[in-house]
Amino acid sequence: MRGLFAVVMLDLKRLWVDRVRLVSSLIQPLLYLFVLGSGLGASSTLGGKGYLHYIYPGVLGLSLLFSAVFAAMLIVFDRQIGFLKAVLVAPVSRFAIALGKILSGALQALVPATVLLVLLPLLGLDLSLPAFVELVGAMLLAAITFSALGVATAARFRSTTVFPIISNAVLLPMFFLSGALYPLDRAPIWLRLLAHADPVAYAVDLMRGAVLGRTVYPPLLSIAVLVGFIVVLTWLATRVFAAGEDT
Amino acid sequence: MSDSAASPALETRGLHKRYGAVHALRGIDLSVRRGEMFALLGPNGAGKTTLFSILATLLRPSEGEARVLGFDSARERVQVRQRIGIVFQEPALEGKLSVRDNLYLMGLFYGLSSRAARARAIELLRTLGLEEVAGREAQKLSGGQKRRVELARALVATPELLFLDEATLGLDVDARRQFWAEVRRYVGTGGTVFLTTHYMDEAEPADRIALIDHGRIIALGSPQELKARVGGGILLLATDDDAQAATWLREHGHHPEVSERGVLLVEPEPATVLPALLASLPVRTRRAEVHEPSLEDVFLKLTGRALEGSPAGPAPRAAGGRP
Ligand SMILES: Nc1ncnc2c1ncn2[C@@H]1O[C@H](COP(=O)(O)OP(=O)(O)OP(=O)(O)O)[C@@H](O)[C@H]1O
Ligand SMILES: [Mg+2]
Repeated sequence: MRGLFAVVMLDLKRLWVDRVRLVSSLIQPLLYLFVLGSGLGASSTLGGKGYLHYIYPGVLGLSLLFSAVFAAMLIVFDRQIGFLKAVLVAPVSRFAIALGKILSGALQALVPATVLLVLLPLLGLDLSLPAFVELVGAMLLAAITFSALGVATAARFRSTTVFPIISNAVLLPMFFLSGALYPLDRAPIWLRLLAHADPVAYAVDLMRGAVLGRTVYPPLLSIAVLVGFIVVLTWLATRVFAAGEDT
Repeated sequence: MSDSAASPALETRGLHKRYGAVHALRGIDLSVRRGEMFALLGPNGAGKTTLFSILATLLRPSEGEARVLGFDSARERVQVRQRIGIVFQEPALEGKLSVRDNLYLMGLFYGLSSRAARARAIELLRTLGLEEVAGREAQKLSGGQKRRVELARALVATPELLFLDEATLGLDVDARRQFWAEVRRYVGTGGTVFLTTHYMDEAEPADRIALIDHGRIIALGSPQELKARVGGGILLLATDDDAQAATWLREHGHHPEVSERGVLLVEPEPATVLPALLASLPVRTRRAEVHEPSLEDVFLKLTGRALEGSPAGPAPRAAGGRP
């Protein structure tokens, strides 16, 4: 328990002193929202406010996904500079290290997402209290899933040169497949099939359910799938950390 | 704890490590007593960090066994980790966090409560003379201060055994002296130290030294024992043509070693044979020197090679590949 606290505390203190990262994580969601909202909205048949509301959960997903995975990628950086070793030789269970990294990544990803949440009224979206709670719950689940994905991946790498590869070859396809920007139920069948394997699709669908009141997947299925991803990815990350420097 | 208290601080048996085709450790058998300051001395690439990492629970051996304070370093990692402190060859501080926060967080990692971790950080800052820099970002410290903070970090959990891997690489004389004074203080409180270095003078104050080369321990003993092993005093001749001098010496029943310092001879009575040698050598001798054997001489005698990268003086090396 103390180990878990130590891992999370370390990362949060580091975010706090890293003002550049902190400020950019506050600005980044605004960019996403206005660029996507106005650019895509103008050329969309859904048009205007309606489309903005439609992609709002998608933008949340985008922000959570990239922030969480980026936070996890700092593990690779730590390994490269040798700092990770100081953490790995501490008498902390490998499960606590994995879970701590996942939770701290999720918390870091929730910073920009909270900015988006604060903007809700400005977008003319007023949610009932239950819907708002539902949305926050879905965001937490999404943040932990994406962070677990990031940590289980980052724990394996030794060099930061993989960053652009991961973001172009893994994150972007996952995001575009997810139906964050268009309705999945109107997408071609192959895309819909692929989306079934994409945790981002379930997370966005769950958040969209809270905002718009309709979903592609049954909400319980989405929750079960995301929890499943979290369990498996946490287990994978624990195994990598348990191997130490050997892997 | 009870049965481990009687065991040696460190014990390895038939330790091998292979990195793919690289056979980095080739059968290491060592035993380090509690309360001992033990140095592993060897040139670049000898396998020091590899052995160090296995003992410090970061690597698994390919073969053989390593026990640390009575616990298996591969299978009982948590027990080992609770009892050791480590200063790595590479810096391992979070540069953007203050010195105080670095120590505080490590305290948390070693199971201290938040309050105890804060108290321990303050205590260490005081004993290591780091109070003035406590609030400064770790990345803004001088090299010597950084290393002392790393030492403080390693001491956070009051370890029974302290591991130091090339701990003073790149430091100036003053900073190194200060660092070793702190380490000796730790040994004075009953701690055990296992250090690696390729500076002879850092190995010198150790109780025992293991010379490592190509993954094997080639000699082990107290500094005095190792030097006695050379079998006499050292006669060093710098001549106009060292190769020719060595050939001539060999033809006349001597066993010279040639290094960049000159031709080296081991003689029971070096001062006595010197005049005759100077008179009969076919090349001109520019400088002759008689001294007690150093660890450098021991290494040269055992391997026929200089302890590469080991400077004559304590000046930091520019080369070495790692920052
Ligand atoms: N991860 C690795 N993969 C492959 N080879 C390695 C690895 N780590 C070390 N080696 C090789 O194993 C040998 C021993 O390396 P090691 O780092 O233990 O030497 P060292 O004595 O610590 O050297 P130095 O004084 O330069 O720090 C070297 O030949 C090195 O190239
Ligand atoms: Mg080394």
